[in-house]
Amino acid sequence: MARTAKTVVYNRIVFVFSLIGLVIAAYVTQSFLRQTSIVCLNSGCEIVRKSPMSYPLGIPVPAVGLAGYAFLSVLAFLRTTSSKRNLIPLILGMSAFGVVFVSWFTYTELFVIKAICTWCAVSAVNMLVIFTISLLMYKEAKK
Amino acid sequence: MNLTGESKFFIGIILATVAIIIGGVFFMSKPEKLLEKSELIPAGSQIKGNSEASDYLVEFSDFQCPACGAFYPQVKSLVNANKDKLSLSYRHFPLDQHKMAVPAALAAEAAAEQGKFWEMHDYIFENQAGLSEEMLLSAGEKLGLDKAKYEEAYKNKKYQEKVSKDLADGKRFSVNATPTFFLNGKKLNPVNFDDLKRSVEEELKKN
Repeated sequence: MARTAKTVVYNRIVFVFSLIGLVIAAYVTQSFLRQTSIVCLNSGCEIVRKSPMSYPLGIPVPAVGLAGYAFLSVLAFLRTTSSKRNLIPLILGMSAFGVVFVSWFTYTELFVIKAICTWCAVSAVNMLVIFTISLLMYKEAKK
Repeated sequence: MNLTGESKFFIGIILATVAIIIGGVFFMSKPEKLLEKSELIPAGSQIKGNSEASDYLVEFSDFQCPACGAFYPQVKSLVNANKDKLSLSYRHFPLDQHKMAVPAALAAEAAAEQGKFWEMHDYIFENQAGLSEEMLLSAGEKLGLDKAKYEEAYKNKKYQEKVSKDLADGKRFSVNATPTFFLNGKKLNPVNFDDLKRSVEEELKKN
């Protein structure tokens, strides 16, 4: 897979959006762990934070996001160090898992918890952007 | 690892992100400022339970607000169950959209003049659906108040200033919905009654 000008730009976008996701997930995770209220546009964040559904297998949902975004950031960074590494499929795979995860959680929020947490919605859109760009990057690299 | 110009560019972004996170951690690790008891429960406040107790719950409420009505029986039983170690102060926060909220607050304060604030408080919440001017006037009689004295205080809005002060204090303490609770000076954000109960019980256990 070649490193074209376009894939470089795509990789930068993936990297920046992963870091944005990382900061959001870090903020929400600390609220989950410290049991402090989340600054939110509505009351949804508190309802979601206090729902047992937000802790699958005992793991707070934002902690999964934190790990996912951290992994994506590392992958995007590693891509800058060598063109030989075949990291694009890994980025695409990770972001695809991310999209599945945020879709599941958005569904859970809407139909089980019946509240929407603004930060989770922002993170879901963020992950969708990363996935779309990863897909474009994958196609571009395959050319 | 071969650091390209692109890698260095990314490292720059990472450092900026780390700086943002450190700034955020520093900002959030500052202890939350608690409100003073004397500010939350000024002299003349309506207090239930043990007024000397170290744990104190303050409720900013509106007699016409449905959520306040829903919290009422549960808060009442919570305070009754812990009446020796907890105090509850009721402060008025009548919302603009509730036209009977101020009259109800004035009626409760007029009843307080005869030592029956909590009886009136309970009566209003228990009959919240039928809240009206007539209902408030007849409540005086039902609670065995001195009718003339009660009506004079109510109709002349004798305690308007007190109600307005409660409302102004609430706004100053960032109250923007009812009911809003403060536990030992800290604003709570309960999503339901069980959540409030949990916070109160955890605080009671500390002492």
